Amino acid sequence: MKISCRDVGPGRQFGSITLLELRVLTELVRETYRYRELIWALALKELKVRYKRSVLGFLWALLNPALMMLVMTVVFSTILRFGIPHFAIFLLSVLLPWTFFSQSLSYAVESIVGNGELIKKVSVPKLVFPVAAVVSNIINLLLSFIPLALLVVGMRHPFYKTWLFLPVPMLALIIFTLGMTFFFAAANVYYRDVAHVVQIVLSAWFYLTPIIYSLDFIPPNQRWLFKLNPIIYVLNGFRLSVYYGLLPKWPSIAASFVCAFMALFIGFGIFRKYQDEFVFYV
Amino acid sequence: MNLSFMYDLLPMGNLAVVKLENVTQRFRVIHDRPDSVRELFSKVLRYRVSYHDLDAIKNVSFEVPQSQTLGLIGRNGSGKSTLLKIIAGVYRPTSGRVHVEGSIAPLIELGAGFHHELTGRENILLNGLLMGYSKKQMREREQSIIDFAEIGEFIDAPIKQYSSGMHTRLAFAVATEVNPQILILDEVLAVGDAAFQEKCFARIQDFRQAGKTIIFVSHAMPSVVRFCDRAILLEKGSIVADGDPTEVAEIYKSLLSPEMARLVQH
Repeated sequence: MKISCRDVGPGRQFGSITLLELRVLTELVRETYRYRELIWALALKELKVRYKRSVLGFLWALLNPALMMLVMTVVFSTILRFGIPHFAIFLLSVLLPWTFFSQSLSYAVESIVGNGELIKKVSVPKLVFPVAAVVSNIINLLLSFIPLALLVVGMRHPFYKTWLFLPVPMLALIIFTLGMTFFFAAANVYYRDVAHVVQIVLSAWFYLTPIIYSLDFIPPNQRWLFKLNPIIYVLNGFRLSVYYGLLPKWPSIAASFVCAFMALFIGFGIFRKYQDEFVFYV
Repeated sequence: MNLSFMYDLLPMGNLAVVKLENVTQRFRVIHDRPDSVRELFSKVLRYRVSYHDLDAIKNVSFEVPQSQTLGLIGRNGSGKSTLLKIIAGVYRPTSGRVHVEGSIAPLIELGAGFHHELTGRENILLNGLLMGYSKKQMREREQSIIDFAEIGEFIDAPIKQYSSGMHTRLAFAVATEVNPQILILDEVLAVGDAAFQEKCFARIQDFRQAGKTIIFVSHAMPSVVRFCDRAILLEKGSIVADGDPTEVAEIYKSLLSPEMARLVQH
């Protein structure tokens, strides 16, 4: 039997946004762990609803990236040639993590507003909704690497040992994505325009990030501009490990985690400050 | 976090398990109905939003001791649901303190956590998790929930195929089978056929005998008089009467227009 005690005072619990405090992070970890079963159930629900009434059902999580890869391979090996060998692998090694990022963001931006009816009726920590949206996309991300591995074998691209390094950029990517989703999910509660803006920002961001091209294509005197983009460090880790068989240099790894934790601190800090008011605006 | 759980044993006895002190809940009602595009633009440009503040709950204090069945009555818009949401932790009050001891099913409307694409079985789990129970606890109770709700083989069908009666039966079964110490019931007994209603009444009586605290919202005065030890009448966000259910129900009837009061009596 669960026995609980709750004592609630008035108004907003936290006066200011606490950004660079470790307390914020431990709270996030603690709450996520406590509600892990609920988060998992919500993530599975999301996947189930996404693939409802499709004959192939959950197989689409695998088929989607596989078919996308097929299209990319055909387009870039016959129509557009950049002179990069095995361009499909070059591209997909960063396109798959990017797809995870952009899909998580597009789903999670609606996660609070979309669960508004629930939030108005059930007392439940609000963070479970964006986290569940990201978790459901993590499942997709992991599954999408299976067809990529098959493609690497099929195209006779070397299957590097550096694949084993992938969990590191994946962790940084997930932390970065979580931070961004917390911020946008909270902002969308107050201004519904945010959901639309996110789509535009994402498509602009896609072209400003070396995904379909490489940073080497950029004149050296302009590269610093691209290096301001917080997501390139983590994406670089994916491309190096899968396509080049190299490990990123440690400043690059450090930069990817610094960006990831900055995003998480700011995003969750803002989310946490406003979460008790969401119920009045959804 | 708006819930701070303490896993600790509580002393038994006639303690107040729900305690509200000077609770006020203010809502900002925003009038954003620009009649024309021009008006919309002028509003956006001047960054002026017209609104008024509404106190849905005004300075309300009361205590509910353990094992009491409290009936909350009042007209539509009197603040009953807002008060329940404050007790359940959905709203954080604008001012005042709320103290709740003991496990509480934090659901206002039965079946609020149900998703129509999921099966009955999946919804039992999801609903239980939303109420703060573990997967293991829900698995243990699954069969008795299914039995009580009389769902049968429909349990593995998506609940969008359920009749509204089945939906309510399942929701009631989940909310009560998890065995909370404080049970909040909002207008639940108005639905379901007579046989199931009797079953629900029987279960509520079991809860009372087991010494649980029940907060019961209803417009049906006979049920309030039948079940409750005490009734609170709300009007415009304030408590206007508190005491014996029969007497409070009489005051409630006097608030209604004469013809409405006749309807309530039946």
